[in-house]
Amino acid sequence: MSIEIRHIAKRFGNFVALDDINLDIPTGELVALLGPSGCGKTTLLRIIAGMETADSGDILFSGAEATHLHARERQVGFVFQHYALFRHMTVFENVAFGLRVKPRKERPNEAEIKRRVKELLGLVQLDWLADRYPSQLSGGQRQRIALARALAVEPKVLLLDEPFGALDTKVRKELRRWLRRLHDDMHISSVFVTHDQEEALEVADRVVVMNHGRIEQIGSPDEVYSSPASPFVYQFLGNVNVFHSRQQGAYAEVERSAAAEREKDRATAFVRPHDIDIIHQPADGALQADVRHVHPIGPVVRVELQHESEIVEVELSRERHEALHLAVGQTVWFRPRQIRVFGADQAPRPAPEKQAFLF
Amino acid sequence: MSIKSRRVLPGFGLALGYTLVYLSLLILLPLGGLILKAAELSFAQILDIALGERALAAFRVTFVSSLLAAGINAVFGLVVAWILVRYTFPGKRLVDALVDLPFALPTAVAGITLATLYAGNGWLGRYLEPLGFKIAYTPAGIVVALTFITLPFVVRTLQPVIEDIETEVEEAAASLGASRGQTFVRIIFPALFPALLTGFALAFARALGEFGSVIFIAGNLPLVSEIVPLLIISKLEQYDVLGATALAVVMLAISFLLLLAINLLQWWTANRHHNAEPLEAAAGRVSGNER
Repeated sequence: MSIEIRHIAKRFGNFVALDDINLDIPTGELVALLGPSGCGKTTLLRIIAGMETADSGDILFSGAEATHLHARERQVGFVFQHYALFRHMTVFENVAFGLRVKPRKERPNEAEIKRRVKELLGLVQLDWLADRYPSQLSGGQRQRIALARALAVEPKVLLLDEPFGALDTKVRKELRRWLRRLHDDMHISSVFVTHDQEEALEVADRVVVMNHGRIEQIGSPDEVYSSPASPFVYQFLGNVNVFHSRQQGAYAEVERSAAAEREKDRATAFVRPHDIDIIHQPADGALQADVRHVHPIGPVVRVELQHESEIVEVELSRERHEALHLAVGQTVWFRPRQIRVFGADQAPRPAPEKQAFLF
Repeated sequence: MSIKSRRVLPGFGLALGYTLVYLSLLILLPLGGLILKAAELSFAQILDIALGERALAAFRVTFVSSLLAAGINAVFGLVVAWILVRYTFPGKRLVDALVDLPFALPTAVAGITLATLYAGNGWLGRYLEPLGFKIAYTPAGIVVALTFITLPFVVRTLQPVIEDIETEVEEAAASLGASRGQTFVRIIFPALFPALLTGFALAFARALGEFGSVIFIAGNLPLVSEIVPLLIISKLEQYDVLGATALAVVMLAISFLLLLAINLLQWWTANRHHNAEPLEAAAGRVSGNER
């Protein structure tokens, strides 16, 4: 089932949670709503689920108006960050709940319920836990049970609100791969909310980056990472060095100490830490700096350079780091390989052909 | 676990000793004295006094009206607690404070006020009596007084438990297709039930011992609207100390058994979902099975 979101707006008192949101989610796609806390992503998910009502705008399911449908009529499966399992029911009864509350003529018989629940517990690989109570399970197991419970009613859409937020890193990694596989097997439209950019980039077909109740960018994980549409997206997805600069013709003149004197020329340049080269000799367009810290972190080595009063972060591969022989206190030069400039109005500017650094 | 195992906080011995002394002085000693006094009578004599026509009627009135009052409060106290927790409305804090009034008000004042209200010429009684509802000076009056007195027990027991129910659980039920009614019956009520039983037991126990408010509204007709505490007092006034003691012991025994039964039921419903199993043991077994 496809979901169309048209001009959705929502305020809580004076706080604008969602501001004219438009989004299409095609059938079978796995979409991540990504943004910092308070950006409106969870509110949007709850409006899709019918747990919150929008002040204005429409929600369409498969082209049909669904804005005023009650949550129980929407046929959506919802998975909560803190599982929201029914504590007084066994795992089996939790999963069976959606089947047992169906109107009498649609309700499957006891044998059929048993078969379906067993099948779902098999799907989430927890069939041996059927007689346990939720308090006896680990966090990862509880979330898989919550997922099985949501899938029991054969929802048209699966909505997940920070589903892995309360779990530790290792379980989180496992579960998100597993969710991706499950999604590929079931071909059900899914939307999940996350503030973890790694999670969004790894799992989703498409990423919707949100901030302050607006959509900043919609695109494939690769698109939003490699060509961010706004300074916010640039800073939210991955580490970045920010340079205040001035756009002058084809040049981005980067001056890190003072602001540009002419307001309209003022611009900001973004450079990812892994897009910076370190060299031992001065070169055209390279800045001088001192090595402050060298941190090997797993497969990469993070180097902190001090240029004047500011810190520049550089990420080197282990091989490059070994070839460079960097020592703390050493004087080096650094040069960005790739730079992206946004004007004072936050709109992207064409990439400059050359960079010049002024002091 | 042995009692002597090392604990983070010291003072277990002292605290346990203090608890035992305190409970002995306050509860066991008076009750022990009562039973000792009753031991002057033989078992047959006690039964004889307790099964007398007037005593039997008083027991029936006391237990039936206490059960009714606790039952009425279990239903309406639940509604009051639910509304106080789940909704915001102007004057909510005032209503919340009103719930505690029956705790603070001298029970005799409550009894006199209720009797005046429900008497044939009272504000409420003058409309109810023509309709055939005679409340003051009848057993119905006892139920009204006991309901008034015991309301806070149910409300105050349920409030924190209702606050604990996550709204997410209700939303989950709704997204799975459950109606409001199904959500209440299958999700909310089972979660509240142990606390409701506790509130019911507290209200019931309080109602059994209530004296001050009841005697003003009950009319105190022997065989009709006389409660056990009043019968005990009247026996004392006739210097029949042994008779009063016999009634008190029987009252004590029945109350204790009823409360024990309710507490066992409450304990059983509360623990069913955890199987009283330590978390670590369960977790150990879970990972064991996974391998």
